Amino acid sequence: MTADRNRGWLFWGSAAAGWALILWGVRGALRHSVDTRPGELARFLIGGALIHDLLVAPVALLAGLAVARVVRPHWRAAVQAAAVISACVALVAYPLVRGYGRAANNPTSLPHNYGWNLALVVSAVWVVTLAVAAVARARPR
Amino acid sequence: MRAPSPRSVLERVTTDPDQPLRQRGYTSPLRDERLAAWLGAPLGILFLICFVTGVYSHLHQNPVSWLPVPARPAGLFRITQGVHVAAGIASAPLLLAKLWVVWPRFVSLPPFRRAADVVERIGVLALVAGGIYMVFSGVANIAQWYPWRFSFTASHYWVAWITMGAVLAHLGAKWAAARRALRRPSRRPPLDDDRAVGAAGLSRRGFLGTIAAASGLLTLTTVGQTLPGFRRLAILAPRDPADRPINRSARNAGVIQAATSPAYRLTVAGNVERPLTLTLADLQGLATGAATLPIACVEGWSYSAPWTGVRVRDLLRMAGAPDGASVRVESLEENSPYRTSLLNRHQAGDKDTLLATTLDGKPLSLDHGYPVRLIGPGRPGVNQTKWVTRLVVE
Repeated sequence: MTADRNRGWLFWGSAAAGWALILWGVRGALRHSVDTRPGELARFLIGGALIHDLLVAPVALLAGLAVARVVRPHWRAAVQAAAVISACVALVAYPLVRGYGRAANNPTSLPHNYGWNLALVVSAVWVVTLAVAAVARARPR
Repeated sequence: MRAPSPRSVLERVTTDPDQPLRQRGYTSPLRDERLAAWLGAPLGILFLICFVTGVYSHLHQNPVSWLPVPARPAGLFRITQGVHVAAGIASAPLLLAKLWVVWPRFVSLPPFRRAADVVERIGVLALVAGGIYMVFSGVANIAQWYPWRFSFTASHYWVAWITMGAVLAHLGAKWAAARRALRRPSRRPPLDDDRAVGAAGLSRRGFLGTIAAASGLLTLTTVGQTLPGFRRLAILAPRDPADRPINRSARNAGVIQAATSPAYRLTVAGNVERPLTLTLADLQGLATGAATLPIACVEGWSYSAPWTGVRVRDLLRMAGAPDGASVRVESLEENSPYRTSLLNRHQAGDKDTLLATTLDGKPLSLDHGYPVRLIGPGRPGVNQTKWVTRLVVE
């Protein structure tokens, strides 16, 4: 039901157009090799996919399994939601928290205390989601 | 309890590529085509927005003579680039969620059954690698984190073409399935095990709401770097517009001595009748232009501020430059890819394109480009060249 065995003109036409764009991008990266360093760029591209597929995704799968086993049914949805939101925010904020980009002699770069701010946002997420779950639990059915 | 045989573990962990997403060890009722399509549609739209606004930014930074970017509206680049960065940040949770839903396909066994499967899977590899790379490198760049040695702009640009090509191929491969999934009435009778599992965890709607909340929260805590009404909420933004931020300080650019020297001169040269050499006092005497213009960084932060200075148009007229000329603006800064920028004919002739001497009614600070900096309507911040010392008319 999921895999479409019926591969018609739409599949092959868009594959041809898509691969034309892909090859245009590859050609550009190769032609500007002084800037793009194709070898290192290719390692980043493949490495990113592998790190996601072999590390991030399995960790997420195991975390999901752990939540399903450990958290009681009533709280499970709230814990899943809070964990997913927290992880997303933390991943995006990670380089700020680590302060990699803080430039010497530039007081306007990374002006906030990002570790503290991330903790604030994540705490708010957990308080709100758990409060919603608690209210839902208290409400008579 | 007997240890499971390697064969049964393999059976549990891998999937059949022709079976539904939810199979074998992957039991979450959330894994289905409908959710994959519901996540894919907004993700595709955000990627398209990023692509279009990104190509527009590329045209600013790599000008082509047959397609000069417009100078007006003055806030256009501020909007396109603010949208580019906001859409990129918002796409991060969607991308991760989408990859989670379709992950069982990664461990398909056998990996291919038909020629079309080979074409599709290589395309999906380009899509996954490109998508992760685009979002990761963008998020790293706005935090000015460069864990690589290649140029961010060049690689972000060329990988964007690879990624969008892969999106296009993927759309064609999944069009029929996605349409079917999105059209299916949402009120299907729940399956027996849906009740058992679904009652305890997030529903499909709950999961989509969670991802929307993650994207929304990231937007809310960052978009104030460009949207003035949200500034106080922007606690996870890498710049605070209230600080009048800069990216390159005078010290880091190595220009303090040259910029503060009494020997400083601005020259207007190139294709002109009367080359000019002007002191700072000359420039201050000519400073009759005033405009409120945004500084809009390619990294997504921006602020609008009042500037005064010399109209570039007036200098070109004084020097006898031909009408409709474009101008190369050169900085005292050496060894930077942003040492020079180009004013195309629309920008050079605009009444608000200034060599600014004041910001917010105060003399320009060294970090903001003293003695004079370029500020023009509708341009990215990297092209608002600081510490200007030469205009070359082309």
